Amino acid sequence: MAETTYIDAIRRALGEEMDRDASVFLMGQDIAAFGGPFRASRGLFEKHGRLRVINTPLMESGAVGAALGAALVGKRPVLEMQFADFVSCGFNQIVNNVAKTYYRWETPVPMVIRLPFGGGSGAGPFHSQSPEAWFAHTPGLCVVAPSTPRDALGMLKAAIRDPNPVIFLEHRFLYRREKEELPAGDLLTPLGRANIVREGTDVTILSWSWTLHESLAAAAELAREGVSVEVIDLRTLTPLDEDTIFTSVRKTSKVLIVHEATVTAGFGAELAARIADQCFEWLDGPVRRVAYADRPSPYNKKLEQSLLPGRERITAALRKLARY
Amino acid sequence: MVVSTHSKPPPPPTAVLADTDPRVLRRAHFFMRLSRAWDSRFEAMARVGRIGRWYSAVGNECTTVGTALALGANDSLSTVHRDLGAVLTTYLDPTRLAPALFEDGDQTAWDVLRPPPQALLDTLANQVFGRRGGFTRGVDRSFHYGLIKPEWGIRHVGMISHLGAMIPVAAGLALANVQDGTDRAVLGFIGEGATSQGDFHEALNLAGVMKLPLILVVENNRYAFSTPLSEQYACEKLSDRAPGYGIAGETVDGLDFDAVHAAMNRAIERARTGYGATLLECMLPRMRGHAEGDGSYEMIPAAEREEYLKQDPLVRFEASLLARGHADQQRVERVTATARDIIEDAVERALLTEEPSLAEATRPVFAPGEVATAFARQSTEVTGG
Repeated sequence: MAETTYIDAIRRALGEEMDRDASVFLMGQDIAAFGGPFRASRGLFEKHGRLRVINTPLMESGAVGAALGAALVGKRPVLEMQFADFVSCGFNQIVNNVAKTYYRWETPVPMVIRLPFGGGSGAGPFHSQSPEAWFAHTPGLCVVAPSTPRDALGMLKAAIRDPNPVIFLEHRFLYRREKEELPAGDLLTPLGRANIVREGTDVTILSWSWTLHESLAAAAELAREGVSVEVIDLRTLTPLDEDTIFTSVRKTSKVLIVHEATVTAGFGAELAARIADQCFEWLDGPVRRVAYADRPSPYNKKLEQSLLPGRERITAALRKLARY
Repeated sequence: MVVSTHSKPPPPPTAVLADTDPRVLRRAHFFMRLSRAWDSRFEAMARVGRIGRWYSAVGNECTTVGTALALGANDSLSTVHRDLGAVLTTYLDPTRLAPALFEDGDQTAWDVLRPPPQALLDTLANQVFGRRGGFTRGVDRSFHYGLIKPEWGIRHVGMISHLGAMIPVAAGLALANVQDGTDRAVLGFIGEGATSQGDFHEALNLAGVMKLPLILVVENNRYAFSTPLSEQYACEKLSDRAPGYGIAGETVDGLDFDAVHAAMNRAIERARTGYGATLLECMLPRMRGHAEGDGSYEMIPAAEREEYLKQDPLVRFEASLLARGHADQQRVERVTATARDIIEDAVERALLTEEPSLAEATRPVFAPGEVATAFARQSTEVTGG
């Protein structure tokens, strides 16, 4: 069986859901005949036409607002931000209009906003950010960040079907590097459920997206040193699967949180707080974080690599934590 | 008289009603009076502190009612905070609310779809008071809600306080109509203040590119909170921007019912027949402050304020009705009194209703489904319990 890349999984999810439900449509910049800069929608314009694969002018705020209007009267828009960094131009619409509608007047807003995000390719300060915490802070948004093609497929399909706004973070570095064999059929991954990717007994790693893979590499290294690391892929950040996290922490008593976003007020801070609140009696060491330094992402690849929370830094942090 | 260049008062009431359908005129008169009666009551309550804040629509009635009357069932409506007249016109079957004022044949097919008007008016009054029976059951204020009921022919999206943010939403409502292949249009309102925001540009540009069936009515009342037109924009008329988006644009006297209604009918015809969007600027007098009692009204030069108060659209509309023989003085008084009584009753009933349950504060932020279930599974520390 041919392997499916992460970006192919995204395209498959879009295609399958558009076939399944006529109310699903795509909006974004350069997504129609061109297929988007990452070709996520390649072929869908030809199949579904200009009213279901809509090229917008260069706009973010207006596109989010228009998607909201369509969603309120029964459509299921899937909006592509060309790069996650540009979502800041649509921030007000997302956090004030989209996120608060259901609470205010109880009309569902089924909408997915896809954010190609993350660094590792030397793309500089405005094509490398990890903005999940901007949205996790806002009640009313579901924030997800799958790390594998299987979950990219299953979670995008689930996100499109859910009656709520979903911020869907796709890591650009994984688009063509992650691949796996995927069976045919309607593959869904539940939203709001973490995944224990590697079982262990000594330390728990909580991570998602690209750093999940780095964490797995670090866990393998520690295994050679006799330390058993449990690695949990959060997949969904809000709402958080606390059961899976707390159960693991109570088992291992040590936690390392790994994310690519900058460290201060990153989502790791929220995880640390909840663990402190709910697992205090079980902890045998500090809740540690490995994350991006509090800097914009530099353009030069060597500079960027020096700040990225890769496997070496994770390995070093695990060794220290294991000694407690 | 010190009047800024852009703050010219509208022309004197010379226009008289053309051959407008008398059924339309009866409806227009009733809804304009109903809107005014509501404002009079809430302004009075605001003055004595019985309601926190009131944004009066006095002066806007001719524009809001004159445009909304052109809508049909399941056209969409997007409103901000001085559009009570459009909300009432869209929601209520006047022939059931005030049967004595209407004649056989006044009830439309859309009226028949609409729910009992008294109940909807009560819900609106409860909404404004933040009570249990309001559209948001106490979690958001006045016109900050929507009502989407295709079975009633009503598709209404209310505002968020960022104002300009609603223009792209109105464009999205229009986009859905295009996708569905219907001829339904969207009437969106915005003050002239929000035309300086980026969302105005993005939405109208999209509407031009996609030929969306959107009519954006700019209620230009010459002051954004306290800021006069001369500090808001440098073009002569806001409708001058329309050609820049490739859409139709018109500026009309927002106190001239004939002019407003005719311009709206032209715009909706364009929308229904694939000619796309219209920017319809209605020039209005600033007859009240931004909100009652917030001090902004006093920022308008006194002489200018006096000029505006003379431009009352209700006075002008009723003078035209009398001049054209569409109503006599007795009918004008009857409509005014009936509207006042209807509002008085609704307000009195609403004041007796209960506060919302405290559980409303922590009600779900997600619609039922997988995400909502996952949210509810989280610890009480997170959900606020």
